[in-house]
Amino acid sequence: MGQLSSKAYFVLLARLLLSATLLFAALPKIGDPVAFATSIEGFRLVGRQGSLWVALVLPWLELVVGMGLLIPQIRRGCGILIALLLLLFIGLHTSAWMRGLDISCGCFGQGEEPANYLWLILRNVGLLIAMIAVLIHDGRNPQRRCLKEDVPAS
Amino acid sequence: MAIFREFFLILLLSAVGAAFSLYHGWAPLPWVEPKLAAGEIRLVDAQALDVIWLDTRPVDAFESGHIPDALFFDEADWDSSLMGLMGAWLSEPRPIVVYCGSENCGTSQRVAGRLRGALPDAEIYSLKGGWDAWAN
Repeated sequence: MGQLSSKAYFVLLARLLLSATLLFAALPKIGDPVAFATSIEGFRLVGRQGSLWVALVLPWLELVVGMGLLIPQIRRGCGILIALLLLLFIGLHTSAWMRGLDISCGCFGQGEEPANYLWLILRNVGLLIAMIAVLIHDGRNPQRRCLKEDVPAS
Repeated sequence: MAIFREFFLILLLSAVGAAFSLYHGWAPLPWVEPKLAAGEIRLVDAQALDVIWLDTRPVDAFESGHIPDALFFDEADWDSSLMGLMGAWLSEPRPIVVYCGSENCGTSQRVAGRLRGALPDAEIYSLKGGWDAWAN
């Protein structure tokens, strides 16, 4: 078994952290989508029905991309979608903060304290940086990178 | 094009998961409009307003936990409870939201109806889902 460089360790750690974060975020919301829909409504961007649609689909998307980040055949697509989701969350929290909304994040299901916007945004920026680092690393090491893509062996 | 195959697979798996939630009844059907009875207000809308919360549950339930700043309202002791409410409402007129224990407890709708007669100038609602909606 070959030795891993410190960069490879960092990428592995970042990949596991991102995957675990998404799985822990998804599971409570899959179990109680109504509570998550109420949190989404608090952002005052979509109505009740829109929030129910988002609460139905988004947790499953988080679950799939969280697990997919560990599967070589689909990890690039999952990584890109995770980065886009994190950008979306940063934008939503910034928007809610600027509008002075007093909401609960809903990020990890129900029972959360009112949102600490600075912490939420910094947390997501940190995760986004980690995700970008993983994507760059995967781009430079393309073996078994994606579905049905012929990559010459190095 | 491989990346589009990945996106397609990811979205397909997410859609299958969402269908699984619907099939098992974990999630309500999003295309069915939730029913809101006349005079009811949803928690998210009430929270967006500066309201007077009125707790009509039994006193022991109130003492073990209630919405912050909620007033206890004993329907059996109507006159003194109403006086307490009027004191709060006259000092700062705001919408009044009455709640009881759960979605189907009925007390909040009954008390809200009586209060509309006693305070015709006030904006009075009953909270959909009651205390359970808040606690969740």
